[in-house]
Amino acid sequence: MMTSRLLRTVAVAAGAILVGTGLVACSGGSSEEGGKGASKDSATVAFRTPNWILPISAPGFTQGENAIFTSALYRPLYSYQLDGTAQYNIDANRSLAEPPVVSNGGKTLTITLKDDKWSDGTALTTKDIQFWYALVTANKDKWASYRKGGFPDNIADWSVKDDKTFSMTTTQAYNPAWFVDNQLNRITPLPAHAWDSEGAASTPAGAKKVFETLTAAAKDPKTYDANPLWKVGSGPWKLEKYVPGGEVTLAAQASYSGRDKPKLAKVVLRPFTGDDAEFNVLRAGQIDYGYVPAANTSQKSYLESKDYKVSPWYGWSITYLQLNYSNPKTGVLFKQPYLRQAMQMLIDQPTISKVIWAGMAAPTCGPVPPKPGTTDASGCVYKFDPAAAKQLLESHGWKVTPDGQTTCLTPGAADTQCGEGVAAGQPLTFTVTSQTGFAATTKMFAEIKSQMAKLGITLTIKEVPDSVAVTPACKPAEATCGWDMSFFGSQGSWYYPAFASGERLFATDAPVNLGSYSNPEADKLIDATQFSGDDSALTAYNDFLAKDLPVLWMPNPVYQISAYRSGLQGVEPQDPMNSMRFQDWSWK
Amino acid sequence: MTAPVRSRWRLGLGVFAENRLALVGAGIFLALAAFSFLGPFVWHTDQVHTDLASVHLDPGTPGHPLGTDGVGYDQLGRLMLGGQTSIIVGLAAGLLATLVGTIWGAVAGFVGGWVDSAMMRVVDAMMSIPALFLFMLLAAIVTPSVTMLIVIIGAFAWLGPARLVRGEALSLRTREYVQAMRGMGGTSGRAVRRHIVPNAIGTVIVNATFQVADAILYVAYLSFLGLGVPPPAANWGGMLSDGLADTYSGHWWLLYPPGIAIILIVLAFNFIGDGLRDAFEVRLRRR
Repeated sequence: MMTSRLLRTVAVAAGAILVGTGLVACSGGSSEEGGKGASKDSATVAFRTPNWILPISAPGFTQGENAIFTSALYRPLYSYQLDGTAQYNIDANRSLAEPPVVSNGGKTLTITLKDDKWSDGTALTTKDIQFWYALVTANKDKWASYRKGGFPDNIADWSVKDDKTFSMTTTQAYNPAWFVDNQLNRITPLPAHAWDSEGAASTPAGAKKVFETLTAAAKDPKTYDANPLWKVGSGPWKLEKYVPGGEVTLAAQASYSGRDKPKLAKVVLRPFTGDDAEFNVLRAGQIDYGYVPAANTSQKSYLESKDYKVSPWYGWSITYLQLNYSNPKTGVLFKQPYLRQAMQMLIDQPTISKVIWAGMAAPTCGPVPPKPGTTDASGCVYKFDPAAAKQLLESHGWKVTPDGQTTCLTPGAADTQCGEGVAAGQPLTFTVTSQTGFAATTKMFAEIKSQMAKLGITLTIKEVPDSVAVTPACKPAEATCGWDMSFFGSQGSWYYPAFASGERLFATDAPVNLGSYSNPEADKLIDATQFSGDDSALTAYNDFLAKDLPVLWMPNPVYQISAYRSGLQGVEPQDPMNSMRFQDWSWK
Repeated sequence: MTAPVRSRWRLGLGVFAENRLALVGAGIFLALAAFSFLGPFVWHTDQVHTDLASVHLDPGTPGHPLGTDGVGYDQLGRLMLGGQTSIIVGLAAGLLATLVGTIWGAVAGFVGGWVDSAMMRVVDAMMSIPALFLFMLLAAIVTPSVTMLIVIIGAFAWLGPARLVRGEALSLRTREYVQAMRGMGGTSGRAVRRHIVPNAIGTVIVNATFQVADAILYVAYLSFLGLGVPPPAANWGGMLSDGLADTYSGHWWLLYPPGIAIILIVLAFNFIGDGLRDAFEVRLRRR
């Protein structure tokens, strides 16, 4: 007797295995007319709807799409390029000012603006910089980019010389490269004449009031395309249409004064409810620029056959496996440098990048990312070498039991012993808290677990939706601090600003030092990257941490796999700092 | 007393044997169980260590009749390993759910009154939350393992049997023989143990087969969503999920075998369930 219940279960199970081929069948024949060449002076882009327009970032509104959106309307003081050709990585073509002149032993930076105008024809002057400075200084608690001790706390004096020149003196001498790349990158001139015609922001109370008005307007997305406040911009684009949670249309700003004038008349930013929805539309040829979700990388050739170019977007990022030095049980193990080295030698980054990530990842060798696009591991201190890892463990008093449980045989602090605090019989057993939803990540940890098991190191992989949330930084030996290793790098663990220093990641008590790594030598080198003018400081810092292994270096996945119509020019090179410059795009 | 009981089971077995689909279902289940649990003794594979030099080998490659997966595991061996997890979790969770549900429903239905109301409101409240959501929540909180999957699925799958048995109990408690036992001083516990549960056993057993089938599907769902047992353990749902990601690469052997296995075992338990329902149906037995 065949019941409806039976039919249902069979249908569900059958549907599961047919869905793959079904998707191919359903979407394969979709029309391509929707986007391809519909209009040669516009482009449709898969893009989450931005929900913040004010170019002063606010907590809760720091998503990447907001940064791209605001920079399309309001140019930052400095834009950056990472090809190593420009002083302080400043992109002279896109920046509003000349590179700063450093004086006073590195403490004073004098900046001269270029001749640029707002979209209403008003000259862009130091008043607009001063206006921005007044707003963030009076409202730093509401500014997402504010860090205690950082900008503007580290400014001792700010002075405006004339309409084109201003200077700032810092409280101590910084490495100019660090300061220009990681502090001045926050400055975006704001149209003082349009947003504060009365000059109210010249007092802290007035600045608070003006900021309140601007913030209230920014929190009202439905008025974005109508509110006169947002009509005056400095960027290459103006906002033509904005649908909250829906499509956003940018139109070329006819009066744009920059050199990188838009080549397209219009860019349509189209959001999708999820990766699958986006990818189905991409497959159907209805957008000009989109992305290939990680689960669909195997469709590269199909997309290429449909006249798309598929291109990895390498980020200015690193990926790592965080170790919890504060774990009362396993922290003592992570504190043994030889053990970190042995575990690093069991991670075959080049093969994992090539086979599991299908070439869409590259080895991480240290805290400073290699030149974007570099895919080899020649710069890594610790190559994949299980034999050396085994020898390292055995030479430090461990009884290595392949496919069993390796334990400490010789406790003690001497060089040939397990290390201070490691008890006799202590096993090498760790739990890795990883991320759900990434097939490549799951496979990667299956491989790493397998390699570790060969030396008797037991890894238990626990996948959770948000691995950062459940592996917070904890105090040394805090009894409840139970996590061992944390991975949150399925799309890269950490994206840097132009100067890839580690004061937020690897310095003692740094805000994102989740594992509580602490090494006085590392602190000294990190300080040097921040405060000395020595050009070699960054290299010294990288070399030391690459070797000391504050974390285990892991394959660094690309930021995104982009897919765009082959006739769309100017998409590449894709900015490693995750910016999108639609003004460079044009049709062949 | 034993002869009638034996003959009742024998009669039931006879009816079951007359249902060809039920026999086919039993055969499929036994074949899949043998494949999963005895297969590894015949076909030896390494299901612990990955081999990135041998990923996505085509079926028919020497040593890999069903090819290899994305980390180099032999797919035939993986199907056997995955079958073990799916069958163990399915059976154990299904039986756990049936046991808990039967006791809960029998007590609620027999005792009645405010106890019944309170117990069944608990069931209603839990049923109002989508089961899959609860499974996902729990699976995200705890580290998934075979035992945990059994507990998680069993802990929420008992609601259906509880309702079913409660309905039976409500009906049975008014029967004369139950009333007679109570009149002679029999306790409620004895009534539940000796009369309610034994008389509802047919319904319970039939439902248990569906519970097992559902539990196997739940394991598949959870694994499909990446919340199943972590590698190197495997189950058919997880394999299906991995296979789906590889569909567009033409790696059909990663998709169809686990999918077909899930269909077969779910079908098998449904056929068996239908056969058992016939077997416990008194009117059919008297034909």
